[in-house]
Amino acid sequence: MSKVLVCPCEDVTDDDVRVAIDKGYRDIESVKRYTGFGTGICQGKSCLSAVAQMLFKSSKVPEAGILPFTPRPPLYPTEISLLASEKADSLQAPADGASANISFGAPALRSEEPIPERAKVVIIGGGIMGLALAHNLGVRKETDVVVLEKGYLCAGASGRNGGGVRMQWGTPTNIELAKRSIELMKSFAREMGINIWLRQGGYLFLAKSRETAERLESNAALHHQHGVHTQVLTPDAAREVVPQLTMKGIRLCAFHRDDGVIFPWPFLWGYAQSCARRGIRVETFTQVTGFEISDGRIRRVRTDRGDIRCDTVVLAAGAWSAELAKMASVELPNQPRRHEILSTEPLKPFLGPLVTVLDTGLYFSQSMRGEIVGGMGDPQERPGLKMGSTLRFLSRFANALLEQMPILGRVKVLRQWAGCYDVTPDNSPILGRTPGLLNLLQMSGFVGHGFMMAPAVAERMAEWMVHEHEDDLFTRFNLSRFAEGRLIQEHMIIG
Amino acid sequence: MPRLRPATSSARQIAIDFEGHSVPAIEGEPVACSLLAAGHAVFSRSVKYHRPRGPFCFAAACSHCLMRVDGVPNLYTCRVPARAGMRLERQNAYPSAEHDVFRSIDWMFPRGLDHHEMFAGVPVAQSVMAKVARHLAGLGLLPEKAAPPAVPAEVVSTDVAILGAGAAGLAAASALASKRVPFLLCEQESFLGGRLAISATEPGAPEIPQAGALPEDALRLSSPAIGLYQDASARFAAVVCRTPAGARLLVVYAKRFLIAVGGHPRLLPFENNDLPGIFAGRAASYLVRRCAVLPGKKVAVVGEGPELYPLAALLQQAGASLSALIDLGGSPPPDAPAGSFQGTVLKAHGRTAVSGLSFEMPAGKNKVSCDAVIVSAPPAASYELARQAGARVLFRGDRGGFTVEADVNGRSLASDVFVAGEMLGPMSAAEAAESGRRAAEAIAREVG
Repeated sequence: MSKVLVCPCEDVTDDDVRVAIDKGYRDIESVKRYTGFGTGICQGKSCLSAVAQMLFKSSKVPEAGILPFTPRPPLYPTEISLLASEKADSLQAPADGASANISFGAPALRSEEPIPERAKVVIIGGGIMGLALAHNLGVRKETDVVVLEKGYLCAGASGRNGGGVRMQWGTPTNIELAKRSIELMKSFAREMGINIWLRQGGYLFLAKSRETAERLESNAALHHQHGVHTQVLTPDAAREVVPQLTMKGIRLCAFHRDDGVIFPWPFLWGYAQSCARRGIRVETFTQVTGFEISDGRIRRVRTDRGDIRCDTVVLAAGAWSAELAKMASVELPNQPRRHEILSTEPLKPFLGPLVTVLDTGLYFSQSMRGEIVGGMGDPQERPGLKMGSTLRFLSRFANALLEQMPILGRVKVLRQWAGCYDVTPDNSPILGRTPGLLNLLQMSGFVGHGFMMAPAVAERMAEWMVHEHEDDLFTRFNLSRFAEGRLIQEHMIIG
Repeated sequence: MPRLRPATSSARQIAIDFEGHSVPAIEGEPVACSLLAAGHAVFSRSVKYHRPRGPFCFAAACSHCLMRVDGVPNLYTCRVPARAGMRLERQNAYPSAEHDVFRSIDWMFPRGLDHHEMFAGVPVAQSVMAKVARHLAGLGLLPEKAAPPAVPAEVVSTDVAILGAGAAGLAAASALASKRVPFLLCEQESFLGGRLAISATEPGAPEIPQAGALPEDALRLSSPAIGLYQDASARFAAVVCRTPAGARLLVVYAKRFLIAVGGHPRLLPFENNDLPGIFAGRAASYLVRRCAVLPGKKVAVVGEGPELYPLAALLQQAGASLSALIDLGGSPPPDAPAGSFQGTVLKAHGRTAVSGLSFEMPAGKNKVSCDAVIVSAPPAASYELARQAGARVLFRGDRGGFTVEADVNGRSLASDVFVAGEMLGPMSAAEAAESGRRAAEAIAREVG
């Protein structure tokens, strides 16, 4: 059948690109994500200029708004075994924390329409939290809402995570929120008209130390109380789930078959489209520059496109939250922490669950497209809003991965990238009213698992905002807990 | 496609195993070339629509020639040297790449398949689709075996790291050598020259120096840079050195980096622009000049830029007949070969390989038969390494795409990173060499 291929690696046609442009995805990063062009084996070598030309000829984007997408090293597919060669592992973390000139979009991409002068609710951050909340407010007939996003949709951690969703948590609240979120994910396509490719292949936790093994056992007992049937397995028994694992140094495993992985990006598009249908404005490429505060309330949100008078402000800016809160003279204890992740060439399906070694933070799963997607935290990493990529990560990840799954040695890494966890002192989120600035609502601090929690958290938050129902989520997890010493420690953090 | 001349006496004739069939090859040539010479056109099936694909770029910049080689999935056969007895298998097709039943997906979805909205929320269809999609996804199976233990990475420090030994990189290397500035030159190909060695000869192009003319240990061939990273102390280039003994990671610290990796072959938008038998211009000249294989007996050449007419001449000299030459940029010059037109390309014809080309010219539509279509256009700047290092990249509609922003000496926004050659936009080989020389002189003044 005749087709004009723009990206042959992923079979993206000129029609696909035109549809994306017509749907309003006019910046290259968004067109890339929506159509999938440039995400295949060649990583954009043969297609990027073709798409740029199409955008140029469409006259919908000024020349200055046509930016190349951020290159994702390595430039050529590179075997994991090569990246695991010893000396590279001795590389030290960059002194500046691997900053990179990641672009969130040129000023030329900003809408020329005026920003609304007034809105009942202004949500800062167009990530999964902000968009899910706006959607849920809309569902509850509250549509006088504006969402402000400084980049394109998916620019922040919501577009940079590995897509894991699991019920295996260490606190009852997280277990219940995750259960509800997965329930909502199952009906997401029906409600929103967009596929999110939930695949419930399970999560397999591996424990190396005695302490970690004991944690898996006590967690499993807690899970059962909440109707989550986590199985505690010996390494040999767990090999029946993933036969390729060596189980080197592993004492104990925990497996829950209904955990899984999703494809993160369509969530944001689905929520954003729902907002648009309900008349809620989602303003991308719009940056918050300050607040006008009087009598203990935020009166206006200042942006680079003008001010918005408002009744309520929700801070849902993930790793950027502390920086923004400072503009309102509010101190948040949140610290951004860079986490790297990579994706390999796509292979036919062989790996069911997401596998994670809790002691080292190594995790990997196989996406619906067949890629191995994985990451690993780095104890050397210092706080900072950095999103550069390092060879050190590739090397550490490759070594840790091959220890457990040596058959992947000749599989090739196609791209690496980084995003920021939004880390709080107790690994639990910050929700509810801000002491001293009551119309500023907090919705941040999810430490790398906000994506999977968002559907459930946003539902409760919208219910609480619209109907003013009592909900202990917004008192127990309030910012005041740090001053009052009521920490709610979550240990089951991966990465 | 026939070989242009019998193998020289020094070339070793071997046999490779292509899905159980023995195929003759010349040891060391890209194995994609062996298969083309033996008349095979379909190398792979595309990921979604299972469209047939054959080698396009010969530059590791597309995905058309990927095969499973000796039990390892997704290798660029345009990069893999032929070795006696090696096993090649095509992937992602059932029952075979020649006759793939999943090609029906392409016919069932003439307007494309919207994976975002297809069956979204339709109760049973959605879950069936998810299962089917998972099994159709992915290219290739797990490798047969674990990798042999990796050789430890090598760490090198030098004054200047030059990435790319094309016209710009070589001119820079010789300028630095004459000033006795230490450097390391890393080249992705197994030979020097880049476009000088593979494209149709342009008037005024510089000569390729002999490898021996460069200082000892200053050159690594078959060594593409994969990234420009930083560690606690400095910037370094990560390079993969491929030797017959295996691959090794090379970490190169340098005071200055000169990136001269050129550009990627561009796709032109016309119907069926992915059919086997459609080659990038420099892939076609590469086949003729380096492999002595003709990409087609009856070729249509389309494109624009300084290489277009020399390329047509090269193919004709090698014995191909020219069924048409479509100049997308303007009227053909008076000395253009017969069958040259100004026009636009509409469609390539053929089921599993090119058999014809439709185009539009001022006089109306036309169709010619051909067994290869050669697409020759100035390459798209390979901006990735420069951008990773902090350079700024701009879109220039008047220059056909993205270019790396640099000052008159090639210095990018990252003060220790210089760029030269086609990364700055389309230019002739002589101009590329001049930009490399200028950058090298500026660098020599700083590190000297």
